[in-house]
Amino acid sequence: MKFRDYYEILGVERNATQDEIKRAYRKLARKYHPDVSKEPDAEARFKEVGEAHEVLRDPEKRAAYDRMGENWRAGQDFQPPPNWDAGFEFSGGDFDGGAGDYSDFFEALFGSRMRQAHAQQRRAQSMPRQGQDHHAKVLIDLEDAYRGARRSIRLAMPTVDASGHLVTQERELDVNIPHGIRAGQHLRLAGQGGPGIGNGPPGDLYLEIEFRENPRWRVDGRDVYVDLPLAPWEAALGANVPVRTPEGSVELTVPPNSQAGRKLRLRGKGIPSRPPGDLYAVVSIALPPASTDAQKEAWRTMAKAFDFDPRAGR
Amino acid sequence: MSDESRTPVQGPVVEEQIEFTLMELSRACGADEEQITALIVEGVIEPIESSGAGEPRHPRRTNPAALPAARAQWRFSGTALRRARLATSLARDLEVNPPGVALALDLIDEIEALRAMLHRLGR
Repeated sequence: MKFRDYYEILGVERNATQDEIKRAYRKLARKYHPDVSKEPDAEARFKEVGEAHEVLRDPEKRAAYDRMGENWRAGQDFQPPPNWDAGFEFSGGDFDGGAGDYSDFFEALFGSRMRQAHAQQRRAQSMPRQGQDHHAKVLIDLEDAYRGARRSIRLAMPTVDASGHLVTQERELDVNIPHGIRAGQHLRLAGQGGPGIGNGPPGDLYLEIEFRENPRWRVDGRDVYVDLPLAPWEAALGANVPVRTPEGSVELTVPPNSQAGRKLRLRGKGIPSRPPGDLYAVVSIALPPASTDAQKEAWRTMAKAFDFDPRAGR
Repeated sequence: MSDESRTPVQGPVVEEQIEFTLMELSRACGADEEQITALIVEGVIEPIESSGAGEPRHPRRTNPAALPAARAQWRFSGTALRRARLATSLARDLEVNPPGVALALDLIDEIEALRAMLHRLGR
């Protein structure tokens, strides 16, 4: 287990006031909030910052953490010294018991103590309660949205065993993904969420659908965009060309004088939701390289045949 | 837990097949009903307009004294889930108040619309 320097994570001095800690946390939380941030490692950084704040904002935990001394450096191998927290009381306050989101380092220091306090609070509430709803994301290919798919998802369920230790139970769930589903939509799987409390029913699991990036397709809601490169003569004279769609190849009639950027619509060939989306083939013009003398001559002949200034009117 | 989980499970598409009650929406967001109600009063999420001739369900047209009774009548479209989750996570993680959440969500919507436009253009 590696030592975590919570002060370094928040970018504050060890003698920072509680206000300074709060300000530093807020600033970083806004920067890395996964719903807002486009930083590549936003989610991991957000959790790290949240964990640092969880410890430093609480005077009890901060004092216990400080007592381990200043000589530790981030990333050093670390084992908590025996009785390192002797004499400290953890009230357990608003710890959500969800665990899993904290590092091993945090778990080793605070996990079991906080869970004990939390379990006591729970026992006090003897009313059966429904378990929490859980959320997970599932990546599918656009093609899966056309045909429907079956996906295995691995879910990590942190639970506490009889001796108060945290165990992560892994389970796999096979899920049928209906065709016509779009990115950003959710499936609700009844009873697959967190376990109930005191004989309460389990919560539900919500799966958010995301499409795997594929350079071939661009998806906008139920519509799909695909690039259609044309030779200059195909674009000028019109042509019948094959277009690759997520359900296979179709023949598309390109009208004469199709400029680059023109969108040719294949009605109903988008995602087969109700109503189905459309597929757009976006024209681009690909120039054949003129290598041989004959090829160069062909372009020169073309230049003579046209009185064309592409920059006219600029 | 291991064997029964191998049978494929299926569930409804929330955005197309589900209407939430206030309690269900709150649970799905891991928030309490008061937090969701505050977002509704701020106009961040809106209940579905009542189609029948029954009581008006809309909070901003409801007498505040009648709010608790009206709340049991509220229904939310499945599409409210994404917005409600985003709003409650911003409120919880960044300690933003409901007007601040409303502003943030409007800006996020605008950014997403611009990104979608760039994406369509293939940039």
